[in-house]
Amino acid sequence: MVKVYSIHNCPWCDKVKKYLKSKNVEFAEHNIEDNSADADACYKLTGDTAVPVITADDKEYVLGFDKAKLDVLLGL
Amino acid sequence: MGIYDFTVKTNKGEEKSLADYKGKVLLIVNTASKCGFTPQFKELQDLYMEYKDKGLEILGFPCNQFAGQEPGTNSEVQEFCRLNYGVTFQIFEKGDVRGETAQPLFKYLTQEKKFEGFDKSHPIAAKLTEALQANFPEYLEGDGIKWNFTKFLIDREGNVIKRFEPTTNPSDIKADIEALL
Repeated sequence: MVKVYSIHNCPWCDKVKKYLKSKNVEFAEHNIEDNSADADACYKLTGDTAVPVITADDKEYVLGFDKAKLDVLLGL
Repeated sequence: MGIYDFTVKTNKGEEKSLADYKGKVLLIVNTASKCGFTPQFKELQDLYMEYKDKGLEILGFPCNQFAGQEPGTNSEVQEFCRLNYGVTFQIFEKGDVRGETAQPLFKYLTQEKKFEGFDKSHPIAAKLTEALQANFPEYLEGDGIKWNFTKFLIDREGNVIKRFEPTTNPSDIKADIEALL
């Protein structure tokens, strides 16, 4: 399952979610502001606290709303 | 009325009296959004890491009254946001910092330390002045906050010692901080 790490009031997170929905990609949202375990996992993955972070395998990820990179990551 | 008489709200909505910071050196800053190109956040965090054990506290007050983050940085659009603004110092509730609706703390600070002009040698000074003239010409009048990242330095007794405009980088005020620690 694709994961989207996000925070509240984050327009780029909203754009990523909307884009994934438009491509019929199923994903689980993990709000790192609400859940510190998710925050730790996101930090472990990226070494930073910037979001949105999108990952399918908890290894490769895309930071930010970058359609081209998302397409490659998710094979869209 | 002194700095320790003010009460503000944290970003979690809790009341916080500035009297809780008695004995600390304070840097009070109006900050921008967590989703923009805002290099001063990083420099403020660096200052905080360097001096927090010696008694420095940085208090950030986010504000939406300024249209952009930093003028002239459109080419470096950043399409992400940071958890807690990417900093570990205290961020307070979003609110106004200038005009009639300004938080009382900022009315006080700008009365204590007046606007003395931008540092014209700073790379954003010209663009900032241009942006203000184009979008908010009235902001250039008087002593109100001109833009994001205006910084007020407070000594351990609560005296407002100095005001730094957005055209002074946080890394350039180390000597002023050290003098008070």
